[in-house]
Amino acid sequence: MTTKPELNLGSHLLPGLAAVALFVVMAATILSASYPEPQGFADGANVTASIGYAMFNLDLGDIPGESFLVAFLVIAVTLDVALDGAVHLATREEDDGNRTLLADGGRELKRTLFGGGDD
Amino acid sequence: MVPPEYYLFLSAAMFCIGLFGILTRRNALLFLMSVELMLNAANINLVAFSLVWGNVTGQTFGLFTMALAAAEVAIGIGIILVLYRNFDGVDVTDATTMRW
Amino acid sequence: MVGILDFAPAIVLLPFVSFLVALSVGDHLPKGGALAGVAATAGSLVLAVGTVLAVAGGRTYDATIYTWAEGLEAVDLTFGVLIDPLSAMMLLIVTLVAFLVHVFSLGYMNDEGETGLPRYYAGLGLFSASMLGFVVADNLLMAFMFFELVGLCSYLLIGFHFREPGPPSAAKKAFLVTRFGDYFFLVGVVAVFGTFGTAAFAGSESFPALAEAALRGETTVNTFGFAPGTWFTIVGLLILGGVIGKSAQYPLHTWLPDAMEGPTPVSALIHAATMVAAGVYLVARMYGFYAISPTALAIIAFVGGFTALFAATMGLVKREIKQVLAYSTISQYGYMMLALGGGGYVAATFHLMTHAFFKALLFLGAGSVIIAMHHNEDMWDMGGLRSKMPVTYYTFLSGSLALAGIFPFAGFWSKDEVLYETLLHGLDGDPILLAAYAMGLIAVFFTGLYTFRMVFLTFHGDPRSSTAEDPHGVRWNVKFPLVVLGVLAAVAGLVNMVPVKKVTGLEIDYLHKWLEHGYAGLTVEHYGTLLHDFPHYGSAGLELSPLLPGAVSLGLALAGAVVAHRLYNVPDPAEHTDRLGEIKTVLYNNYYQDEYQVWIANGLTRPLARAANKFDGGIVDGVVNGVSGVSLFTGTRIRRIQTGVVSNYAVLLTLGLTALILAFGLVGGWFV
Repeated sequence: MTTKPELNLGSHLLPGLAAVALFVVMAATILSASYPEPQGFADGANVTASIGYAMFNLDLGDIPGESFLVAFLVIAVTLDVALDGAVHLATREEDDGNRTLLADGGRELKRTLFGGGDD
Repeated sequence: MVPPEYYLFLSAAMFCIGLFGILTRRNALLFLMSVELMLNAANINLVAFSLVWGNVTGQTFGLFTMALAAAEVAIGIGIILVLYRNFDGVDVTDATTMRW
Repeated sequence: MVGILDFAPAIVLLPFVSFLVALSVGDHLPKGGALAGVAATAGSLVLAVGTVLAVAGGRTYDATIYTWAEGLEAVDLTFGVLIDPLSAMMLLIVTLVAFLVHVFSLGYMNDEGETGLPRYYAGLGLFSASMLGFVVADNLLMAFMFFELVGLCSYLLIGFHFREPGPPSAAKKAFLVTRFGDYFFLVGVVAVFGTFGTAAFAGSESFPALAEAALRGETTVNTFGFAPGTWFTIVGLLILGGVIGKSAQYPLHTWLPDAMEGPTPVSALIHAATMVAAGVYLVARMYGFYAISPTALAIIAFVGGFTALFAATMGLVKREIKQVLAYSTISQYGYMMLALGGGGYVAATFHLMTHAFFKALLFLGAGSVIIAMHHNEDMWDMGGLRSKMPVTYYTFLSGSLALAGIFPFAGFWSKDEVLYETLLHGLDGDPILLAAYAMGLIAVFFTGLYTFRMVFLTFHGDPRSSTAEDPHGVRWNVKFPLVVLGVLAAVAGLVNMVPVKKVTGLEIDYLHKWLEHGYAGLTVEHYGTLLHDFPHYGSAGLELSPLLPGAVSLGLALAGAVVAHRLYNVPDPAEHTDRLGEIKTVLYNNYYQDEYQVWIANGLTRPLARAANKFDGGIVDGVVNGVSGVSLFTGTRIRRIQTGVVSNYAVLLTLGLTALILAFGLVGGWFV
């Protein structure tokens, strides 16, 4: 027999009120700000091509934009690094099984040995 | 033209929903999903203002933000993996050793 | 001698060099640093003679040697040298006695095989330098500093035999009792600076001159809300605290008899002729400040007269020769204070000079006797030393005649003038002075009595112990200073024979004339004017011949000598003082003054100290500990924010961001 998923309401939702408060503040700011008329793009302009040209510092696109070549290269490097980092973090090294104990600063060991916790 | 306030509202709402997730979620993977939601909210904002200024800068930058989000998720999952190994679960409220 | 006065600092520095020599290389020198000390004091003596000759030619010297603190709007603190007739005379006395004591020490310390000689000669050298520095000081603060230095040297030298129980205790007592008085002196020095902005002794901008001008209404000084006369009296009495301590007047006299634990040459130099003279010299130096305050003068005279009588009664029953001399010293300094209070400035300085000579002589003579008796000081074990130690006997007799005040020895002229001046100014209608005069007069009888008791018990009669029958001989280094001082004790009175002058009209009061020149504010005439104007001494214009008071005091002294002769100048004297019974016990225990002071310390000072300690520990420390306690407590509570749970940190971030945006929005006017 299955049970349907229950919405997990409880006191752990209380910190979420901070997010609600932030939304209220942001909404108030947005409502009270003034905006320029949206200019939009020209009819028939090739937006995607413009994005591509802007990325490589080529001025051939219909819609103007800043040049992002340096940013492109930097992001490429970053993605590469992220991939290597993820692989490094995931590698399991062959060692004894005590790492689980030591990573918590010896708290579990202390608790089992002395029976009392701190604070 | 849709007035820009609507886009901003949408972006703010998505951001705060993601923030709500961060503040209340105990599962680390769901925590990471909420972070993704916040990043995408910022992206919406960028694209909206690209329309306002008639410039393609916003959208291009949005692409970079997406790439960065991907990188961050990669690292994040790696960290969650290490967390799982050490604390035998992915509950963020269990990992409380880095304190006084 | 052109420019000799520019060498005045050398007088102070030569003994200081001998101190350094004795301290550093004294162990390697043949006599433990003695020759350096002898040479240094001889050099200082030569320079002092030159200085006296220069001052006799009418030159004076007042220069600032070194400014060690320069205040911008406030006072300047300096070291300087002041050479005028008073300080030149004192320089001569101090250097002469210091030189003779150094020579005597060769016989007392070196020949007796004492150990630790470099320490002894270093102490003597430092003391000589400090005392000479005190004498030439040109401002009150410098005088205070050297005052303390001589106190330190006294402590070091009294406690010379520190491995025995008596001397260190006596040294501490001397230091503490004088220090108690010096506390008031320090407050007085600060008061002088606060009132006048200067502490210089000489010149038109000196503080005595400013005080006089303030009282005459010519200028105003800061008197802290009191009337000028009252305030100057208060300041004078504060400084008097240090004087009473240093010159061993009642009630701070208790240290001097115990100071006899030190070696006898130290007693001769420090506790007879020089250090205890420092207090009296200070009053004489700033007499222009005391002369304008009748109350202070009356108190000085009364304390002096009382001390003279008080100490003389105690000297009657002592057994040890140095103890008799110690009480005699206290008594004689009482006479000098009596003279200063009674308006006899010349008399006081004259008695200071003669006393320095005859008291140093008596102490050195006692030292010679002590060497002979193998360091047994009890007079009841002596006797009959007259035939075996003629040089010591005759010089000691010369000193005793001077002490008792027998014509024509030095003490007669000076003591006589002290009493005469006091009587003359007392008859103007000042009952305190008359009472002090009466006490001083009675003390003359006792002085004669105890002095000759001492002489007869020590030198006359039959020997009362085997040591007295076969005393240890003494050499030239003991006899030479005794002879020099013996001659001086006999003839020093000739410098100021005022009665002869009054009778014959000859101008032979050389000391009076000597003190007449110098700086304008520091001469005898100026003091006479002040004494006439402020306490009104001599205003009635009384004319009293000095012959009658002189005859009375001479008669009393001779009476005391005759009584002593009848009682003690017999082959086998008995302890006649036992007939006093209970009185003798009181006198022998020094009127229980020592016990009284210990009681004050235990009963008054200790509880106060305990209360202050509790206050310091409880409140002052409590505040500091409280501050740290607050810090620790708040730390323990606030650190619980760091829970280690990431979500909590995110909550804090969000709340902070919200608050920030809200603040910026409200201030920047986004929401209107």
